[in-house]
Amino acid sequence: MYKMDILKMAYKNLWRRKVRTFLTVLGVLIGTTSIVVMLSLGIGLNEAQRRNMERWGSLNQIEIYSGVNFDDKGNPIGQANPLNDEAVKEIKAMPGVVAVSPGFNMGGRALWGRKEGHLQLVGIEPAQMPQFEFELAKGRFLEDGDRFNIVLGWEVGRNFRDRRQLEMMRNMSRQSRIMMRQQMREQEPETLEMLNQRVTMEVHNRNGQKKIYNFTVVGVLSQENRDKSWQAYAPIDEIKRIREYVMGGRNNNDPRMAREMAVKEGGRATRVSSGRQVNGPSPNDYEFIWVRTENVDATKKISKALRDKGYRAHSLADNLEGIEKTSKTIQAILGGIGSITLLVAALGIINTMIMSIYERTREIGIMKVIGASFFDVRMLFLTEAGLIGLLGGFFGLGLSYGASKVINHFGSDFINRGMPPGEAANSLSVIPPWLALFALGFSILIGVIAGLYPANRAVRLSPISAIRNE
Amino acid sequence: MTPIIEVKNLIKKYRVGTEIITALNGVNLQIAKGEFIAIVGTSGSGKSTLLNMMSGLERPTKGEIWINNTLLNKVKEKDMATFRRNYMGFVFQSFNLLPSLTALENAVLPLILQGTGKKERSKRGREILKMLGLEKRILNKPTQMSGGQQQRVSIARALINNPKIIFADEPTGNLDTKTTKEIMDLLTTTTKEKGQTLVMVTHDRDVARYADRIIHMVDGMIINEEEKGGAVVNEKVN
Repeated sequence: MYKMDILKMAYKNLWRRKVRTFLTVLGVLIGTTSIVVMLSLGIGLNEAQRRNMERWGSLNQIEIYSGVNFDDKGNPIGQANPLNDEAVKEIKAMPGVVAVSPGFNMGGRALWGRKEGHLQLVGIEPAQMPQFEFELAKGRFLEDGDRFNIVLGWEVGRNFRDRRQLEMMRNMSRQSRIMMRQQMREQEPETLEMLNQRVTMEVHNRNGQKKIYNFTVVGVLSQENRDKSWQAYAPIDEIKRIREYVMGGRNNNDPRMAREMAVKEGGRATRVSSGRQVNGPSPNDYEFIWVRTENVDATKKISKALRDKGYRAHSLADNLEGIEKTSKTIQAILGGIGSITLLVAALGIINTMIMSIYERTREIGIMKVIGASFFDVRMLFLTEAGLIGLLGGFFGLGLSYGASKVINHFGSDFINRGMPPGEAANSLSVIPPWLALFALGFSILIGVIAGLYPANRAVRLSPISAIRNE
Repeated sequence: MTPIIEVKNLIKKYRVGTEIITALNGVNLQIAKGEFIAIVGTSGSGKSTLLNMMSGLERPTKGEIWINNTLLNKVKEKDMATFRRNYMGFVFQSFNLLPSLTALENAVLPLILQGTGKKERSKRGREILKMLGLEKRILNKPTQMSGGQQQRVSIARALINNPKIIFADEPTGNLDTKTTKEIMDLLTTTTKEKGQTLVMVTHDRDVARYADRIIHMVDGMIINEEEKGGAVVNEKVN
């Protein structure tokens, strides 16, 4: 028997019992809808969480700080790995790593025109800057060959105040000072106005000397880069040179300073003071290394591998696992609740099919006498059951999209509470294409499985006793 | 020439509650190709049981059934439908048409089951329905037709696949006298034309008279055979 003929016949048989078919399909429809909507809520939750995390930084980025790891009780684990060029090279060679940039931090008083403030400089490899998920509001990224150029975070402008204003604030009452600060916080930062202007930084040496550095602002980062909004980014070589100046020379002859650095970095002052500096952290080591990875999975893997090697690696993706585990549990629970409905629908299909076999005993008998093979009879009934599943799945999916829309319409306030306005709104219920396909396939599968027992009954029916009931 | 149907010492016993009923008690029968046989007997004589055995719808308790040199006893239940489809056509007392299908669809049902293409089966179905005088009823459902018309559709269904054997179980049982004559003429002429073997069960002696040979059954046994014209050929007295 041709598949097309079986399908046609199955369709005809279902159409003949419109009301019963409709009710059974309705059961599957409700079952499918409940599963899809439940799962869509879980997926929506998951996506919202992920997006929230991404707002606070990239999931494709690992930050490594100097120093050792500590276990739960606060004891150091292993040795501190120095963050030097060799480390950079080693990390660069790891699979899944897209870009690596070492860096220094440096802060100091700075002047912009008549305004005065604090500038937190981060020295990074200028050529690697586009790799680290910075977004520009205006201007450009740092480039190879840049020297005293800097890119500012969105909020940096808030650090700069008019000197007269500062003076005024100093004379104000505490109350009005707080109010004024509040007011300023609500205003847009003036960072964009700093583009292409000069920022001057005054750096004091350990020996009491001072030097003035002039930086030109070539870019301002977008508001989206929340974790980077208070820093200014400069080429690492310049920052290195400034640090060397501050420390009073490349070779770091001052033992007092070396000890100070060592205490800060890893706590092995004794080693340094005894003159054995070979394995200990050197003040020329980088303060941090940024690692950009291919994707979230690579981030998790590399972050763990780095920690195992003794690096103090940290990534937002590290927290993702726990969150994902939680949302998977929630999804499983929601899906389970939905599945119960579909299970009931499956019982409905079984019931309908068995009823239909009772009614059609004679017909089945005739078909068998005329020459319908076991396979034909089984296929016919499985097709009917599968069709019920398909119809239920199809219309259930339609209803799910509708329900999802309604949920998002009324529930968006709930999930987007506390989100800054203007950002991409999260959806409470998300139906990705795979879920739609899965729902269709699953409802057909449920139909076919529910049809197995009735189909078997039909196959077993003795043709002679089937046609005898006259 | 070997007979197309050969029944050897066929016994069928049923268990009804604690009692065992013997429906067939040692039946021997040979039917030649192209022959028209009528099996006659009162109700409970075992005539229908014999027909069911020969068409593979029931399994014998003992004895052998050969159809076209195949031992039917050995054909598996799974393959029986295909076997029937290839060798046999059926006409029933109560027509047994599928109520949801049109006359044409009912007539070509064996072809559908066999997997014949749509064009081909539509052509053959229309041809045979026209031959049986149903060209105006092609798209009618069984409920929209008279008993005679329904039976003609079921004859069309039995003939469509050109089977070697046609089994007819009281084909005129639900029809009036006039229609009975029409149907019987139709059955006889078409099967003769195609050289098909027709095995018919009936309790109507008038209908049985159409056959080449009449077989009388009483209590699960053949008591005599009668050639066309009324001559008792082979009387058995138990």
